[in-house]
Order: sequence, then C-alpha cells, then structure tokens
Amino acid sequence: MSRVNIEITLGVLLVILAGVFVIVYGLQEEQRMEEFVNHQQAQAIEVGAELFDNNCSGCHGKQGEGVPGLCPPLNDRYFFDERVKEVGWSGSLEDYVVATVSSGRLNSTRPELYAGQGKPAMPAWSEDYAGPLREDQIRYIAAFVMNWESTAPDRGQAPVLAGPPVGTDITIELPEGDPVKGEALATAQACVGCHVNTATGPAWPPSAGVPGIGERAGTRFSQPDYTGTATSAEQYLFESIVQTNAFVVEGYPESLMPGNYSSALTAQDAADLIAYLLTIK
Amino acid sequence: MNKSLDLQDMRKKAGEAVDNRVRIITAGLGLNELRAILRGDPPTEKPNPRYRVHTTSFLFHIRPRYYEKGATIFNHTFRLGFFTAFFFFVELFTGLILMIYYTPSPAEAYNSILNLLSNVPYGKLLRDIHRLGAEAMVIFTALHMLRTFLTGSYKKERSFTWLTGVLLLGITLVLSFSGYLLPWDQLAYWAVTIGTSMAEAAPLIGEQLNLIARGAPDIGAGGLLRFYLLHVVLLPLAAVLVISIHYYKVSREHGISLPAHLEEGDVPADVKKQAKQRIDFIPDLLTHEVFLTALGLFILLAATIFFGYGAPLENVANPQVTPLDTKAPWYFWWLQGMLKLGDKTLMGIILPTVLVVLLVGIPYIDRNPYRSLYKRPLAVGLGIFFVAVLVALSYMGLPQYGIETPAATRIIQDLAPEEGIGPLRSVPFDQLQTGVYEVGEEVPRDLCPNLDYGCPALTGVFRDFSERITYASTTEELENYQRLPNADAVMVIEDWQEGLKKVTLRISWDDPVSGKRQTYEKHYFVHRDRERG
Repeated sequence: MSRVNIEITLGVLLVILAGVFVIVYGLQEEQRMEEFVNHQQAQAIEVGAELFDNNCSGCHGKQGEGVPGLCPPLNDRYFFDERVKEVGWSGSLEDYVVATVSSGRLNSTRPELYAGQGKPAMPAWSEDYAGPLREDQIRYIAAFVMNWESTAPDRGQAPVLAGPPVGTDITIELPEGDPVKGEALATAQACVGCHVNTATGPAWPPSAGVPGIGERAGTRFSQPDYTGTATSAEQYLFESIVQTNAFVVEGYPESLMPGNYSSALTAQDAADLIAYLLTIK
Repeated sequence: MNKSLDLQDMRKKAGEAVDNRVRIITAGLGLNELRAILRGDPPTEKPNPRYRVHTTSFLFHIRPRYYEKGATIFNHTFRLGFFTAFFFFVELFTGLILMIYYTPSPAEAYNSILNLLSNVPYGKLLRDIHRLGAEAMVIFTALHMLRTFLTGSYKKERSFTWLTGVLLLGITLVLSFSGYLLPWDQLAYWAVTIGTSMAEAAPLIGEQLNLIARGAPDIGAGGLLRFYLLHVVLLPLAAVLVISIHYYKVSREHGISLPAHLEEGDVPADVKKQAKQRIDFIPDLLTHEVFLTALGLFILLAATIFFGYGAPLENVANPQVTPLDTKAPWYFWWLQGMLKLGDKTLMGIILPTVLVVLLVGIPYIDRNPYRSLYKRPLAVGLGIFFVAVLVALSYMGLPQYGIETPAATRIIQDLAPEEGIGPLRSVPFDQLQTGVYEVGEEVPRDLCPNLDYGCPALTGVFRDFSERITYASTTEELENYQRLPNADAVMVIEDWQEGLKKVTLRISWDDPVSGKRQTYEKHYFVHRDRERG
C-alpha cells in the first residue's frame, strides 16, 4: 500500500471513531444537562444562604424565624401555604419573593402584626431600585428561601406574650432585669439587626471615641436638646423602647424605629433589655 | 434510424457530457484523472491536469503545486504550522455556533453560558472544544515559531514571512485573551481587569488607551461589547488576512525550507537531488492534509470527551469582590511575573515592546548566513536562554510567588477556595457531621465514630487544617506573616436547611508584631446536590 492509501484508510477509520464518540456523547446529553441544572440549583441555594445571612437575617432571623412585631417569618408553613393567596399574587411564591426583595415594601401589609422598620417597611434590595443587590443575587436568595418549603414549621399567627404588655408609661416600676436574658431578647427581637450589625440605627457598642449605649444613656437626658421626659438612664432607655418618637437622636429620621414595642414586650422583657443595654459601656 | 441506435456512440456521447460537467466542477480534472488520483496512478493527460487546477481553481490557486521532498520530513516541521491553521478553523466553526447562544451584555452573558451548558445539546462540548482549540492554537503558534527559529528558516527571502508570523503570534494572543472576558465570570473579569490595567501604564496615552479598551474607567457593558466585537469581527478578519499572506508566501513563493543539512550540509549530490524531488499537492499533500485534519478532530474529541478537558466557569463577575488568587491566562503569566519585578511602565509596556521589536528584527539583526544549529551557536544559545527566562518568569507570575498572603487566609483559602471546589467542598455530604471540632493536640483517627463507615474525607480535611495550624503556630523560623502564635482554631458544622449545611472555619492568634489577638473566620454553605468534582 502506498502512503496515500494508508492515510486514506487511517483517516476514514479516525473519522468513523470520532463519529462514534460524538454519538455516544450525544446519548448522555439529556442526563448531563439535567445534572447541570441540579448542580446549578444547589449552588444557587448555597450562594442564596450566604446572601441571606449577610443581608436579611438581621430582620427575618438567622433561620428565617422572623421577629414578632417587626418582620414576618419566612421559614413558616403559613408563608408557603397561604401567603400568595392572602395578598392576591397571581404568580408563583418564588416570583413573589423576588418581587418583594427587589422593590421592598413601602407599607406593611399586616401593620398590626409586622410593622417593619418604619418607612419603607422593607427597603428595596435590587440595584434597579437603588438597592445593593444584582438581579441574579436576588434570584439566589429566593432559591434559598424556597428551600425551606419542605420543613417549614407552623409558627402560628400572632406573637404570644408571657404577660400583659408593658405599655408606654415610663414612670412605672419595672421588675429586676437579667442582662443575659436581655441579650438573648435583643437578638430574638432583632434589635441587633439595626443597632449592631448595620448602621440603620444608633450603634450600641462603643466606636471611635463614642462610648457604648449604657454610658450614653446616663448623660443623654440631661443634654439641652433632649425632648423626652426621662430622669435616669433606665428611664431614658425605657422611653427609647416604648415611646420611640419622644426623642430622636440627631441624624436619624422620626419613626425609623418600630413603634409597637410597648405592645410586643412584657414589663420583664423591657427590664431585661434595659439591664443588658446598661452593660454596654 | 441506424445511426440513432448506435449504442456505443450514445454511451460515448453521454460519457463525454458527464466528463464535461465534472471538468467544469473540478476545474479541469476529468473522470479518468480522478480515478487515477484515487488509485495512486500517474497523470493521464499532458500537460499534467493536476497542475492546471492550481491556476483554474480559486481554492487550489492558494495551495502549493508541490513541496520539495526534504521539506516534508515529519521531524523537520512537525506539522506545527498546519495544526495552527487547523485550530484556527476549528475556532471559526465552533465560535460561529457559540455565537448563536451568546448575548454580549453583562446582564445576560453569564446566563447565556449557563443556558448553553444546561439547555443546548452538545453545548458543553462545543464550548470545551472552542477553549481547547484556543489554547492549542497559542501553543502551536509558539512552537511553530520556535521551530522556525531553530531551523533558521527565517533568513533571506523568508524574512517577510517571519514578520507576518510575529504579527500572527500577536493576533493569536489577543484573540485568545479577548475571548477570555466573554463568559463574564470572576475568572474572566479579573484576568481582563489586570490585563487592561497594564495599558494604563503606557506613557502619555495610557489613560486614553485604557478607556478605549474598557469603554469606561471600569470594565462594564461597554468593555464587554468591545471585547466581543474584537473577538468575533476585527481579530478574525485580521487573522484571515495575515494568515493568507503568510501562507501564500510559503505555498506559492518560497516553499517550506529544506532541513539545513540537506541545503548547506556536506552531503552527497544524489541525496541533495533526492531531497529536491517534488511531492505534488494532488494527491499526496492533499491526502496528507485531510488525514491530519481527521487526526486533529479525533484528538480534540478524545481530549474533551475522554480525558476530561473542560472550559472552566466560575461565579458570575462581581466587581466588588476581588478573588484572592487572581491570575492571568497561563500564556500571560510571564508578563504577570515581570510586573512583580518592577515598575509597571518599564515591565508592562517598555520591555514587552522591546521584546516585540527584537522578535520582528531577528532576520535583520542575525546576519549569519548559515542555518545549521552547529554554525550559529550564539543565536541558538540566546534562543534557549530566552525560553528559559520565559519559563522562569511564568513561574514568578503564579500567585504562589512573591505574594505574602497571611497564614490564616492562606490556610482557609487552600481548604475551601473562593472559586472551584477544593478539599472541603469535595467531602461527601453525608460525612459533614454536625459538631464543633476544635484543633487540639491530636487529631482523632475518625471524627465520626457514630457513623458505620466513619467520615474519612472530613477527617482528612480536618487533619490537614489541624496540621497546618499547628505548624504555623509552633514553627518560629517562619516569616511573620506565615506565623500564628498561640493559635486556636475550630471547624463548626451546623444543619442549616433541608440538604444544606453551614461550615464555619475560625482561627484566632496573637499577632506576632503587635501582640494583639486576631480572628479570621469564613462561612461556607454546602448543598447536597452541588458538584463535588
């Protein structure tokens, strides 16, 4: 055989083999694409979890348990079964989450239960509406939230208080407070979301020459621009919690802080919180 | 009547008519001639119709009529030039199909790749081959150039061909690099950000150059569109033009050079005569090219389908997050290495320009008339030295060289890199047993004694973590940034959601300089269905 003949034979063989490769590969394409979609979905949930942790958990809770009076739970049976019907949303729940996260919420849909953090009740998160997140990131967050569907517990509707609400009168005698319980409450009520984790409200911990909230409370009520009625550090903190507009620290708008803590806390809760705040010097 | 029934005459006439049609299509080759070609017989007519094709047909007029036998010896050319061109055509073909599915905008680019991978049959294969073809084209261009240099084939009448070759090297590199940005993932975004920031160092026009390349101070929609148009229109057109010139010089003017010993060596006259024998394009060279094409396609498919070559895809580009280990594509590592050695303008602009001028100037600088390796020791020595320097610079371009990443960051990044999979993320989901694992004196043989088969992969990762912390904590000879005195470290695994766990890695240590307690902490969420490599 001449070289030409050998090359023609070998070449034909190679082309046939390559053709077989392509066919065998093609037979597995359906499966490969399906696997890729699964990997992609898993990765979306992972990235969404991280974004939720960094951006949403301050108000909606680390595990999406929500904060009574402030933000609704998302890891909740009611949310998955009823929420879309309640608001009359025509699309899927996932789209509802994307839409809500993107544009935020000007007014709470259930102000008596979840007042949100003032106006707007929930800020817009999408870049399109001056928020910090891209559209794909919001999709990832929605994928993460939707992943609670199979395990979401029934959390009931209204927050249950252990006693009568504390009310707005700051002159009443409060019971002895426990700073450890107060710290847990500060996390459960998501106070830390605005006062520690982000700069939405005045920061509690000391920073850059400004002392902590426990120290500030002791001097604030004697300042000339003070507009409230407190006469002690305890009373000042008490007033800040239950009468949120009595005095607003300079640089923050009125009604930024939810005004419903007088009905969402018992006297013991308020005392615990105050005891905890006084320890932050 | 009688005449019209003459069957033989009819057959002859029909045969002539068919033959005529065939000749029109094949630009002059008749049926007999085609048969002779396939059988390996000599030409059937005079003058040789196989040569005539080269003037009558457009596609054949750019092909050589023949090459000299000595020039076609395999270990003289290694077919490097052929394969460079082959990969270019592979890129054109796969690129054209990929263009169907691609949208050049930051909002859509990454999604269009995901769609290609998840929803287009053969989409992944096309992308993998396109990427492999691009890298192979860079390699083969460089090797082709090295071969031409070593065989001294750039001299005299071939000096202009060398110049077009240097141009093609540049076009190939920029083509490859411009394609790098298009997937719009972290890898692409930051590699190109580094690449274009070099342009900024150019004196006087740097800022403008950078603006022109990026379309804005930072790469965004404008930059992506510019790179896309460069990649799919301007550079391919330029490449087709310069390849045509380059190839025409070789195929129609001076041919492939003979090996030096056959041209200028002390060999018998009959050997020289034999080396100058003609190998005709039809059928020998043509068959050989078709064979090499089949071989090339076979290798490309085998490499992607069976040897797991794949084009990487990282997370979507995020201008706010610079990944820890950012690096240029491997064929620019030498440049990244140079940048670490000194001033941006000197190392990133002036020296590379000098390099290009030197490459272009080689045929005019090197006045040595000989081509044999032995008769030009200086040129060959310099060539080898240059390749060695490139390799060394490339090594220095790696993130491992000359960048002082603090120990805690380094350890955690190595276990669970920001991009890609890494040891932690490749642990099977069932082995991620919830718990708090503290780095202490000794690592238990198995972290999960309550599991039937234990958790060897998780234990391995934890042992690695533990050993590196202990080493950094107790070895005092290390540089300050590598030390973690009095380190405490912990790995926490929590159940987070259905099919989702949270892994926290935390290291605390006393800063060796200030003595202050420092903490570095990273969280990872790991899903059951994620890719584990």
